Amino acid sequence: MATQHSRAAARFMIAPSVILLLAWMVVPLAMTLWFSFLRYNLLMPGDNPFVGFDNYSYFLTDPAFQAAIVNTLLLVVGVLIITVGGGIGLAVLLAQPMWGTGIIRIMVISPFFIMPTVSALVWKNMFMNPVNGLFAYGADLLGLQPFDFLTQAPLASIIGIVSWQWLPFATLILLTAMQSLDSDQMEAAEMDGASAFSRFFYITLPHLARAITVVILIQTIFLLSIFAEILVTTNGGPGVASTNLTYLVYAESLLRFDVGTGSAGGVVAIILANIVAIFLMRMIGKNLDA
Amino acid sequence: MARAITPGRKAVNTAIGAGIGILIFFPILWTFLTSFKSEATAIADPPVWFFFDWTFENYGAVQERSNYFRHFWNSVIISVGSTVLGLLIAVPAAWAMAFVPGKQTKNVLMWMLSTKMLPPVGVLVPLYLIFRDWGLLDTRTGLVIVLMLINLPIIIWMLYTYFKEIPGEILEAARMDGAGLQSEIIYVLTPMAVPGIASTLLLNIILAWNEAFWTLNLTASNAAPLTAFIASYSSPEGLFYAKLSAASTMAIAPILIMGWFSQKQLVRGLTFGAVK
Amino acid sequence: MGRITLEKVQKKFGDVEVIPPLDLTIEDGEFVVFVGPSGCGKSTLLRLIAGLEDVSGGEIRIDGKPATDLPPAKRGLAMVFQSYALYPHMSVRKNIAFPMKMAGMSQEEQDEKISKAAEVLNLTDYLDRRPGQLSGGQRQRVAIGRAIVREPAAFLFDEPLSNLDAALRVGMRLEISELHKRLETTMVYVTHDQVEAMTMADKIVVLRAGNIEQVGSPLELYKTPRNTFVAGFIGSPKMNLIEGDIARKHDARTIGVRPEHLQVVDSGGTFTGKVGVAEHLGSDTFFHVHLDEMDEPMTVRAGGEVGLSHGDTIHLSPQPDKIHRFDDRGLRIA
Repeated sequence: MATQHSRAAARFMIAPSVILLLAWMVVPLAMTLWFSFLRYNLLMPGDNPFVGFDNYSYFLTDPAFQAAIVNTLLLVVGVLIITVGGGIGLAVLLAQPMWGTGIIRIMVISPFFIMPTVSALVWKNMFMNPVNGLFAYGADLLGLQPFDFLTQAPLASIIGIVSWQWLPFATLILLTAMQSLDSDQMEAAEMDGASAFSRFFYITLPHLARAITVVILIQTIFLLSIFAEILVTTNGGPGVASTNLTYLVYAESLLRFDVGTGSAGGVVAIILANIVAIFLMRMIGKNLDA
Repeated sequence: MARAITPGRKAVNTAIGAGIGILIFFPILWTFLTSFKSEATAIADPPVWFFFDWTFENYGAVQERSNYFRHFWNSVIISVGSTVLGLLIAVPAAWAMAFVPGKQTKNVLMWMLSTKMLPPVGVLVPLYLIFRDWGLLDTRTGLVIVLMLINLPIIIWMLYTYFKEIPGEILEAARMDGAGLQSEIIYVLTPMAVPGIASTLLLNIILAWNEAFWTLNLTASNAAPLTAFIASYSSPEGLFYAKLSAASTMAIAPILIMGWFSQKQLVRGLTFGAVK
Repeated sequence: MGRITLEKVQKKFGDVEVIPPLDLTIEDGEFVVFVGPSGCGKSTLLRLIAGLEDVSGGEIRIDGKPATDLPPAKRGLAMVFQSYALYPHMSVRKNIAFPMKMAGMSQEEQDEKISKAAEVLNLTDYLDRRPGQLSGGQRQRVAIGRAIVREPAAFLFDEPLSNLDAALRVGMRLEISELHKRLETTMVYVTHDQVEAMTMADKIVVLRAGNIEQVGSPLELYKTPRNTFVAGFIGSPKMNLIEGDIARKHDARTIGVRPEHLQVVDSGGTFTGKVGVAEHLGSDTFFHVHLDEMDEPMTVRAGGEVGLSHGDTIHLSPQPDKIHRFDDRGLRIA
């Protein structure tokens, strides 16, 4: 009974959340936007004059920005390819009948629960370290020169670490989606003479399409903001070889204290994330009606 | 899949599955093992696997040198505090939207979700300045507030999808059975909503515990939770593998165990109901 | 006591009128069935009586007392839902006890009523189980048990059997009928299944698009349907409705003959056609007969041992006093 009275009560119950989120979204956003038009450096007290689009032109023409954009895209795309590809494979594998499914699953999803700073440090020191790391030991065993991952291939190494963290997420979601696959459909395809291979391509994969899209979109949102892994392993270096957009904005704002340029970078990051967000929101919105 | 599968086939599946599982799990296992080694054993060449003198000295050393438990306690307060505070605000909202949906409900939900899409770096500067001016930098209160806000959309969404599943007919039945609003809430709604609330609580504690953007940028030493504390091991302490491992093990163990219990909720919570 | 009267009761959802103003009286102790195709407003009507929906206009009285503005709990009615709506976190015992607990009844009284209801409904062995551990039929009984203990002025049933399989449905139908005989309490029952309506009801209310098409006992509706809609809806297999020259011969726009009122004759007869599908049920045989004059096949109920098969020519003649005649508006011509 949706009476007038219960409507009013409902509004009253929703209000705190709406007000908080509105404040959380609007206030800092407006400030970022405003700062991005000012010459504003915390190390230089005094006036903060309005400079129009100067910060943007400075930020966008900075070679570090171009490098950061390329790195951001490489990081996102690289991790997506590894996690989605690996996730599909693992989901198909884990959906097979086997003993000890529970324990195997627990092992596979565990990396997701490891805090970013821990996983970055463990990989950096105990695996990728060119002197004492396990990889160096392995290379030694094979008679190869130890490879200094984080110096010689910093971005690729970070992609590896982040992929390890996100592979379980993709696997878990795709596995969940696999389990909702109607076994009648599989049996019908089998009766129709489809091989295991064509069953995968014509039934399993299309069935997973939606879940794959969700994984891609959600991971993209998080991957655009990768920060702790870079901070702990390479500090964005050497040079800007592993600096992504998030890290660059952090460096501008909190290392160089250039609030104006940092804010301009923040606005760029917001625009980039919004492009992805629009697609994600559409998908979720559609599901809400169903 | 009603047909019998041959044990041979199943054994092969199991072997492949276990192999990959161990491979993925290996860094965690290795960290765990290393935490019980002496520093010398930890970097021994060739590596030592299981047969070494197990020692707890690293755990003691970590606590002694950097007051580990203060950071652990910070993590607990920040993650539990932000989640509980978030629930207090979100339960009424999700409840109202699930049971008294209006024309705008869907839009409000989508809008709430959109706030989650905001990249944190986009608001880093103003938030840092606000925190500085209000004296919230490096305080637990500040982090509780920020983490509550970034997870609030997820909390509301999870609760909403759980509440939505409580069939309306049951509430009508309760009304027919003579229950007033109060008894309806106490005897029927709450018991049915508790599992959903508990799952939401669990998942959000995990997310808050592992959050590593705001915790790194808004704390120094006082309020630093484990994420920030471990980051301080970057170097040169990180080269003390055994101590790094001990600190890491303690930081991840509680949440890893909670995570194992919340697999199903994880999918639901992180895909906003788009994958079930 | 449970006499329910509806006066000019009306329901609108926004601008859409789902139930135009409607009058209806349900007598004390009567078993009334609301029947109609899906979307005809029968469930909405029941929910209006229950108080789960607000009326947009008109008056509802229960035992002469105005109930229009009473909340559901105060109307003294009990309802059995389509999904049973059992409380999943409570045992069967607690489910049944819930309305009594809400009424503040003493523990002894509750226990006594529970054991009595459980006995009647064969639930004694299941009292400590949760609804999730019960079969569909058992859940249905728990839902009924929960309704009985309130000793309501009337029971409301919202398609209670539609989630059960065919065999169980027949069994539950009998149980509900027996319950009615024993309790002699008013029951209002919603279904889309005309067989349920015919077998259980004292009084059937046929609804279409929120309008009452006809109210009457099952046999009244069967014998004298007021219009073509009721004629086609009540009775199984459906009445044959024939238009065109044949109907004109009877001074009607449409005539209706039930399959059981057509006789197979050796030759002559009113209709001659070819046998299409023949459904042999043992006791009866249903022939679908294709006539030259009609697009739709005509259904005929013949004896179990009529030896005709697909493609045979068949001659039919209706019992003259069992022909229903309808005018241009589809209304019955007396």
